[in-house]
Amino acid sequence: MKKKEILKSTLIHVGIISFLLLNLLPLIISFSSSLRSPNNMTSPLNLFNEFSLVSYQNAFSRMHFPMAFLNSIILTGVSVTIVVIFTAMAAYPLARIDSKFSKFVYLFFLGGLVVPGQMVIIPIVQIIKALHIPSSQFTPILMFVTCSIPFSTFLFTGFIKSSVPVEIEEAAYIDGAGLFRRFWTLVFPLILPATVSVIITQGIWIWNDYFFNLIFITKSSQSPLPLAMLGFLGDKENPTQWNTLFAACFLSAIPLVIAFGALQKYFIGGLASGSVKG
Amino acid sequence: MNSSIMKKSMYFFILPALIFYLLFWIFPILKIFQYSVTDYNGFVQEFNYVGFKNYSELFKEGVMTSSIVNTLIYTFIVVILGNVISLGLALMLNMKIRAKGIYRSLAYVPTLFSAIVVGFIWSYVYMPDQGLIDSVLQAIGFKGIQTNFLGQYSTALYAIILVDVWKNIGTATIIYLAGLQTVPNELLEAGRIDGCSAWKLTRFVKIPLLAASITINITLSIISGLKAFDFPFIMTNGGPGTATNTLIFKVYKLAFNEQLFGKASALGVVSFSIIILVTGIFVIYLNKKEVSA
Repeated sequence: MKKKEILKSTLIHVGIISFLLLNLLPLIISFSSSLRSPNNMTSPLNLFNEFSLVSYQNAFSRMHFPMAFLNSIILTGVSVTIVVIFTAMAAYPLARIDSKFSKFVYLFFLGGLVVPGQMVIIPIVQIIKALHIPSSQFTPILMFVTCSIPFSTFLFTGFIKSSVPVEIEEAAYIDGAGLFRRFWTLVFPLILPATVSVIITQGIWIWNDYFFNLIFITKSSQSPLPLAMLGFLGDKENPTQWNTLFAACFLSAIPLVIAFGALQKYFIGGLASGSVKG
Repeated sequence: MNSSIMKKSMYFFILPALIFYLLFWIFPILKIFQYSVTDYNGFVQEFNYVGFKNYSELFKEGVMTSSIVNTLIYTFIVVILGNVISLGLALMLNMKIRAKGIYRSLAYVPTLFSAIVVGFIWSYVYMPDQGLIDSVLQAIGFKGIQTNFLGQYSTALYAIILVDVWKNIGTATIIYLAGLQTVPNELLEAGRIDGCSAWKLTRFVKIPLLAASITINITLSIISGLKAFDFPFIMTNGGPGTATNTLIFKVYKLAFNEQLFGKASALGVVSFSIIILVTGIFVIYLNKKEVSA
């Protein structure tokens, strides 16, 4: 019996490890290549046959890494903050008032999930001009926020409905607290798990998005990381540039990988609670 | 059900989000319906109404049919393959084994990479002669096999679909794992005592209880498949020929490469209708199923 158990768990381990190895092979090989000097042209299959940071230095200066990193931080930080404030607020009445109107608005927001951003973008430049919004490196924030509204509102509404009882607000109401105070001091702190979930799910896509940036940002000094990466587009079919290209790939992915390593619990939990509570 | 302390004035809380949503999401869609019957080119602000010419041209040129077919193939494979792999992985990771946490994190890592980086790395994987697949084939003695996956009409679409599946396995696996945590242990114990095999427990206890996670994952992958854009854009530019033109990529190309905003809008309207139709059918089907179950 005991032997059978050990055999079984070994088989499972072997199964999972071989799947993960196969799955991560492209990443392992490109990581090993990124650690070679740019002119090392031996087959990438000779894993880790050189450890050099020259390719990273090249990529670092070609993509103006510090600048691009800072731009990414600003764009993502500002967008996610606005998303959290706007959608937590919007979700509050939608979760609290049980009326046809609130149900309609909820579904109206949710329906936005099916709309592709690439389609919306066709008239958007004209609309932004007509509204006299100055076009700047911050214009993509408008789209990041808007694009995040459906999913975030859905998440917050579900969470408030299921986890924040109305009773806790009644005491505050009797003490004379207004709507704003009740929301910000009572409800908002209680929906922290949903907030984490929104920050992580929306933060990842906004950090990685290149499309809206591509439409609005024209100067390379204003480019965030994914847009700086697009500058390497021509190199993907040129094997002599691969080592530098892969170094650039990992440079631009490292910030999120580090964040994931440090905040794993929140990443996994945020995704999971988003799906279960919703 | 409404508590008396919840006043109608709360609705003001919706305003900021609603204004953004109407201005930058709903209004543009209405605009697209308008552009779709014009010859608007994006630069000259005057345009003429041309009726349904854009639609009929798209249809005659075969653009509409090929993009619709590509998109439906794309969505179908992403939904089936992506969900089968991630459900299988989640079931394995849910067993009582050591190092589960590390495995789970490793499975999630590809999700963190931006589509651009993923597109670059997979372009290397598929590259003929020096790419990953070809080098491996040569190293184990297969030489001279035609492996230009992205350059061949017959394989290009499937090659980029695989990349999409690869990138999204992590997220779907996490959602399935979260669902598996909600399966009550007593139920599994009871099943075991009654002599259920591991397969029967999975098939008749775990999977039915995962209905909510399955619904979420399938809905998300249907929507993302129908909106496919990234990998045609980064890896193949829609080619070779029209092999990897998905609806949304073709919309983008018509508007921003060919300056045919009117035509692009017409294809946009078609895409929008197809997305609503397919998602709608699926949601209604699921609702019926849940009611009857």
